[in-house]
Amino acid sequence: MRQITTVFAYTLKEAARKKAFIVSTLIIMIMVLALCLAPRIISAVKGSGEEEQTGTENSAEQAAVSDDAAICYLVDQTGIFEKNLDTLKSVYPDRNFKTAAKEEEEGIRSDIRENENNSLISIEEKDGLPYIRVVNANFMKGISSQKISDICNKIWQKNILEESGVDGETIARSTISLPYTEEAAGDMDITGYILGLAVVFIMFFAVYYYGYGVAMSVASEKTSRVMETLVVSAKPSRILIGKCLAMGVLGLLQMVGIIVFALICYTAFVPSNFNIGGVPIDFSSITPFTLLILLVYFVLGYSLYAVMNSVCGAAVSKVEDLNSAMMPVMFISLGSFYLGYFTAIAGGGSSGLTKFAMYLPFSSPFSVPFTLLTGGMKAGDLAVSMGLLLIFILVIAAVSIRVYSASVLHYGNKLKMKELLKMR
Amino acid sequence: MSLVVENLTKRFGEKTAVDHLSFSMETPGVFGLLGTNGAGKTTTIRTILGIMEADEGKAQWNGRKINRETLAFGYLPEERGIYMKTKVLEQLVYFGMLRGMKREAAKKAALGYMERLEVMEYKNMPAEKLSKGNQQKIQLISAIIHNPRLVFLDEPFSGLDPVNGKMLRDLVSELVDEGKYIILSTHQMETVEEYCKNLLILNRGRTILQGNLKEIKSAFGHTNLCVTVNADVDGMAQEEGLQVFEKRAAETEYKIDGDEMAHRFLKRMLDAGIYPDKFEIREPSLQEIFVRKAGETE
Repeated sequence: MRQITTVFAYTLKEAARKKAFIVSTLIIMIMVLALCLAPRIISAVKGSGEEEQTGTENSAEQAAVSDDAAICYLVDQTGIFEKNLDTLKSVYPDRNFKTAAKEEEEGIRSDIRENENNSLISIEEKDGLPYIRVVNANFMKGISSQKISDICNKIWQKNILEESGVDGETIARSTISLPYTEEAAGDMDITGYILGLAVVFIMFFAVYYYGYGVAMSVASEKTSRVMETLVVSAKPSRILIGKCLAMGVLGLLQMVGIIVFALICYTAFVPSNFNIGGVPIDFSSITPFTLLILLVYFVLGYSLYAVMNSVCGAAVSKVEDLNSAMMPVMFISLGSFYLGYFTAIAGGGSSGLTKFAMYLPFSSPFSVPFTLLTGGMKAGDLAVSMGLLLIFILVIAAVSIRVYSASVLHYGNKLKMKELLKMR
Repeated sequence: MSLVVENLTKRFGEKTAVDHLSFSMETPGVFGLLGTNGAGKTTTIRTILGIMEADEGKAQWNGRKINRETLAFGYLPEERGIYMKTKVLEQLVYFGMLRGMKREAAKKAALGYMERLEVMEYKNMPAEKLSKGNQQKIQLISAIIHNPRLVFLDEPFSGLDPVNGKMLRDLVSELVDEGKYIILSTHQMETVEEYCKNLLILNRGRTILQGNLKEIKSAFGHTNLCVTVNADVDGMAQEEGLQVFEKRAAETEYKIDGDEMAHRFLKRMLDAGIYPDKFEIREPSLQEIFVRKAGETE
């Protein structure tokens, strides 16, 4: 035990003062700060934009839309829509609407190619109905065909009703846009979804970054031949456990530090009425039990991949070979990440594939936290998933320690797994 | 106290790296483990220490199997390995603590050895800033910091300049005086002749010669004659049946078939009025013995 703590303390200290660790922590903190400041920056920019827009509106009373505004051409062969130009303008008040004849369409298309912000609405009659074509320079520029279609529908309905002799008030009532909101019937809320996403990404980052740290630490000790001095002092299993623990604790400390920093930034900079798509952020559903399970899965997920990565580090004789040696573990972690993430989103904890992802030890560290935070986790599934993960870690750790012990003093060609398992 | 190695065998697949090796060390001193590169010296040490599992045989210290848990032995590996980015004192304390020492005791011992080996000024420097020789001193300290009774030194003097070489040789002599049991693995025969009373020569994993150095050499008899003389006596030597073995700047070494041949040659020189400055009849060097024995086993 003492040797494990000695290796642990030394590895932790050495890893914590590495430039890569300090720089990555600072970069993440800057990103967190920027994210927390974003709502204020956006609202400040919007505010000034609104002020500018108000100014435009004021001047609009005198001079409508400025001459250099983007032009939206209207070629209306039905004659219905050009009569309702003001209604059309209401969806794009910042654009200059101009009517044109069908013969001018080719020239207008050339103009759009040169002036990417300009657009064309071309309406002709087809099978007794108006057929709308919206032409933009490309799909990233111009006006939305959906918005134009919606407003044209209203103009068309209004026109039909007028021709049928319906009074103005009834027409106005029948073409009004009905108010609506969207709600989820289940437990899944936006906060859980965002947190779930964040946890899955953090987990993947931890698996990759700290797992790589373990592999690199083992590989550099092996290639610098320090390993030979170490293994005569301590059992390889103790070195491995000490190293993995140190990198795991370092990861946890970094995460806790970043989370505390994020909470401070959130409290200090994010407006209290902040919402995403109209849904307010609410952390009240995050219970201590949820946090405990997240912590457990972070530790277990990290441990599983850390021991596998340590074998990769022990299998190479040169640090340059490390990336290729880590490739299988990287593929497993990447595949498991996508499996866990997509099945959690799609399945909501009930589909067969989601259950498979929650039970599979490689993907459960990614799948379970997301499902838990989005409210789709059942106690039975959690118990089975955790049990399987624990058993699998013990098996993998036992195999890894054996392979690690056999390979740390092997130099020369990269060893195949079969050879590693045979060595004594 | 004693180190006993019996029938130690280590195989890697089809290849036998160490083949039924046996020796013992009953008293403190230096035991020489000799062999060319790839002879199996390092594998022998690793197997004795239990870093590698022996396929056959055993290695015992005071009647108990040697392993990391039961014996705090010292080991200086052939391949030098220290943490290049870590400060010298910090890593020595770390290695000491891994060997079961408390932090303060490890620090005290590290500083003591650093003072002794004249590397105190580098204690707070990362190892990468030290010269190769000084790095080697640090590695030697890491091997003996915990004051082990049994020490394995694998090529401890290779690549050292004469000054640092002497400093480390003196330290090894001090360790012997302190009653330590040292296994010295090397392919530098002069080093063995300087230190070892007993030795074992390995070739391709097999023991080709072992025993007391003096006895081994005397068993070969007087086979060499070294002569320093201010005249050309090679013709005279040839007439007496001597063969030139090696011509050096100051002397010539001949191969002889016994003392009588050398005496006849000396008489011829004296009769001719030639008086040599040096005339030494001696046993073959360990180097010659090794080359001869290795050749016999090929």
